[in-house]
Amino acid sequence: MVKTERLQAEEAEPAPGSAWLTGAAAWFVPGLGHLMQKRWWRAALMGGAVWLCFFVGMGMGGHLFDLAAEGSSPLLQVPPMIANLGTGALYLVSWLLDYGFKDDPAQAARATYEYGNTFLLIAGLLNYLTMLDAFDIAAGRKP
Amino acid sequence: MRHFLVMTLFAALASVVFGAMAKDTTQERLLYGLKVFAEFMVIGLVLGWILYFIP
Repeated sequence: MVKTERLQAEEAEPAPGSAWLTGAAAWFVPGLGHLMQKRWWRAALMGGAVWLCFFVGMGMGGHLFDLAAEGSSPLLQVPPMIANLGTGALYLVSWLLDYGFKDDPAQAARATYEYGNTFLLIAGLLNYLTMLDAFDIAAGRKP
Repeated sequence: MRHFLVMTLFAALASVVFGAMAKDTTQERLLYGLKVFAEFMVIGLVLGWILYFIP
């Protein structure tokens, strides 16, 4: 970060509580943060991309990560779990229904299994970006 | 062919999000999204051909 940017960041006002609420909503339901601010197109494009990415990943037989590791250290599960957690309610509902977490050899043998994993990871990471965008708009840091 | 379509879908979804959150005007966002999409596709194809020749 260059000096002027650092000074601007230091001078920036703290984000209001509503911005944090918007950020939390944006994480929990992809696209909701922008919908709350009546940014319809952004909500449709960014939220829609995350939802589509998640369901395409599931359809390809992808696997969601949690701390229950089979044959490997639970620590290795943490980075992909953080990525998967980015999808918010989609991850939590899948976890509650125990859908997409099992290591099934038949599922792993599918040609699209690794693609599915990647789509699920990227869905979460894209939603983190969407969440930050919604937060910045709500905090008045972005038009 | 299916692998190519999956890569195209992946590039499209990622570039939509990147494009929507970057830049200031709609035109700049559209151009940036297209640029990111093209970069994903070109780099994917180049890497694919490189890996094709590695046993």
